[in-house]
Amino acid sequence: MTELTLLPLLQAAADTSGAYGTFPGIGARGAIWVAAEVHLMFAAFVLGVPMFAVICELIGIVGKEERYDKLSKEFTRLLVFAYSATALWGGLLLFLITTLYPRFWTHMARIFSMSMWIYAGIFFVESFTLYLYYYGWDRWKEGRAKWGHLGLGVLLNVFGTTVMFIANGWLTYMMSPPDGMTAETLPESVGTWNAIANATWMPINIHRLIANAVFGGAIVAAYAAYRFLAAKTDEERAHYDWMGYVGNFIAISTFIVLPFAGYWLGREIYQYNQQMGITMMGGFMSWLWIVQAVLIGVLFLAANYYLWTGMGRIPGADRFSKYTKWMLMLLVICWIVWATPHTMIASRSELAAMGGAHHPFLNVLGVMSAKNTAVNLMILTTFLSFLLYRRANVRPTVAWANSGTMVQGAMFVFAAAVVLFYGVYGYFVEAIVRIGFSVYQVAAVILCIVSVTVIDILIGRGAESRGEIQWGKMPDRSQYALFVLAVTFTWLMGLMGFARSGIRQHWHVWQVVRDTSVDAATPALGAAAWMITLCVVIFLSLVAFIFWLGSLAEHTVQKKGAGHGVPAPVPSGATGD
Amino acid sequence: MWRTNLKILGLTIAVLAFYTMIANIIPQLESEVPEELDLTAGVTPEALIAAGDKIYQSAGGCAACHGLGTRAPNLLADHAGQGTIGARCATREPGVDCKAYLYESLTQPSKYLVPGFEAIMPDMRRQISEDQIWALVAYLESLGGEVTVTAEDIKRTAPAPTAAGAPSVAGGGVAVTSTLDPVALVSEKGCIGCHILDGKGGAVGPSFDRIGATLTADRIRRGILMPNADTAKGFEQFAGTMPTTFGQMFSAAQLEALVTYLASRK
Repeated sequence: MTELTLLPLLQAAADTSGAYGTFPGIGARGAIWVAAEVHLMFAAFVLGVPMFAVICELIGIVGKEERYDKLSKEFTRLLVFAYSATALWGGLLLFLITTLYPRFWTHMARIFSMSMWIYAGIFFVESFTLYLYYYGWDRWKEGRAKWGHLGLGVLLNVFGTTVMFIANGWLTYMMSPPDGMTAETLPESVGTWNAIANATWMPINIHRLIANAVFGGAIVAAYAAYRFLAAKTDEERAHYDWMGYVGNFIAISTFIVLPFAGYWLGREIYQYNQQMGITMMGGFMSWLWIVQAVLIGVLFLAANYYLWTGMGRIPGADRFSKYTKWMLMLLVICWIVWATPHTMIASRSELAAMGGAHHPFLNVLGVMSAKNTAVNLMILTTFLSFLLYRRANVRPTVAWANSGTMVQGAMFVFAAAVVLFYGVYGYFVEAIVRIGFSVYQVAAVILCIVSVTVIDILIGRGAESRGEIQWGKMPDRSQYALFVLAVTFTWLMGLMGFARSGIRQHWHVWQVVRDTSVDAATPALGAAAWMITLCVVIFLSLVAFIFWLGSLAEHTVQKKGAGHGVPAPVPSGATGD
Repeated sequence: MWRTNLKILGLTIAVLAFYTMIANIIPQLESEVPEELDLTAGVTPEALIAAGDKIYQSAGGCAACHGLGTRAPNLLADHAGQGTIGARCATREPGVDCKAYLYESLTQPSKYLVPGFEAIMPDMRRQISEDQIWALVAYLESLGGEVTVTAEDIKRTAPAPTAAGAPSVAGGGVAVTSTLDPVALVSEKGCIGCHILDGKGGAVGPSFDRIGATLTADRIRRGILMPNADTAKGFEQFAGTMPTTFGQMFSAAQLEALVTYLASRK
């Protein structure tokens, strides 16, 4: 063997010696993967739920509606148990990284040690804030004390968000280390803040902030669905029907905004490194986005199905039922377009079989113009479902109600026209121009959502009711849609985690710290899917256990409460009065 | 209640199985780690081509752009009626043979920018090693042409070992010459692929002629080290195009020589 070939091998051996540990069964990477992903899922839940727990509590205080306060407390009870699980999985992840990837950990610790101590300190404070928030609920429930209690909830969110931002600094550093950093750069010479505030930090922060709310809403909705199905009384069924609706509303309304944050993140990745962007969208990960499209299609369909079914319990909603089949048709068509593959790695034989670089038919549907058009139309359709749901039992009394509704309709038509126009026009311009069109499409959709919502709120002022919503009068099948949403959101989170981590390929830190372990190759989607499913199964099993624990605690409280004459919470309209 | 539990369990399993199945029936592409090749003196063209084929499809990530013909010229199929890359490479630049053309295209991508495409390709030495680049050249030559790469080519461009006896950069390394001549540096690093100097070069980035009249030395230095920090007026459509790796390609003295030179062009 020549010196030329010997040197790299010796270097690789030197690099690998003592750099990695081993783990039985699933290997070192598998162990880290599971610990990190399950920790992340719990973390998303415990960061997402406090957001709307506080909002619900505020609505309860301002609107003097006790049901919102009780709902908020129920959310928080789930948090207390989930928080312990988050910490446990975080600890496990830490032990696994330090024992299985010691060299990589040393590199990270040399840059981020200070932020790690701060992280631990805030986590500590956050824990006690949560316990104060939950256990102080009944003690501080009146007057100024209630506002103080709300302040604790706000603090809980502030601490949680800060913790997440710090952790995001570490993981985004792995994706996009500061410009000019190389394998030879001394970690100590990289400023901690410089490493944290890297190119993808803020886009990930915003993306995760929104995604956590989506995820928290979906899990709470699934919890409510389970309690609905297990309910023994009408009051209980009504309460959990309403809770499921609120959870689903939060999940879907925040989910609609998520693609825009994702677009920003993708743009930053491209700007940071073209090659990384191309690997993500057009390289070995190109098919991942087809799988993502399948999942998001399921989310849109399940969410709309739940809303359409829910309209069955709203007096006056039947006047809109004739539109649902058309909305379903539009959603399905858009889903098919979105899930059509375009950019794929083709071998010579495949190119010959297709008669060119692209498939003659799929080429037309698989391009970004078509996909952007499809996803924007799906968002508009889902928003329309929400709007019809909102308007179902409302009889407006303002004089301008009809013209306002016409303006709303015109806004929808305008947004759809803009989306379609730029979708078609995109086929006739250069790629660099076409990319800019998506901004116009997104802007039209956001404008429509905001303006139509504002008009709808104004139209609803002083409106008459066509009858109380019959909470609890929901078919069981609607609740299964909420389970589908929760499972899909969880799997989607695992998939996106793989995408974010996988684009680094064989680098622990992109082009700075190379992965020289036996697991350095990034697995194909099939293998990744099995790992994601394993993580989801572990997470959902633990969540089911935690919820069961929560119900045990609740039974104890109710038994004590029954002895003291405390009634079970009943939402307004639960009895259909 | 057990019936409900079983229904929920069944539904959850069905949903998970559906997604896992979808992910398993689509094409399975693994991102492989670039391998060190054993390209000794006795290496055969067949071995080089096989290695290059593998790198093209995997670690090199070439097919992501060059397999389509939209972001970059299609190398595997005909382009503009000139045939596949192995057939057309020798005629692309006067006086540059196929092997040199392909090697330079991989290591200085802006040097021979094909009309109609943007300079988005990175220097492949950041991603794969020198011997892998030569394997790629051999593979591309084989697509309609004759393979002329030999073990001598690989030895000739092999990176010099560092003091510790190891190659300088994990990805293969970017050659750092010792010249302090700014004009030579502009040429060597492929700057004129995108910037005009003395009336020659590309128009993807601001012209170097009279650049000192509009930009300070600090601003020029920042533009080289952090090209995404600012976008020059009139070049917004090319934002993000300039590689962020120039900081690693110059020594400190070279960078200062270049900055001083550009700042003086008023």
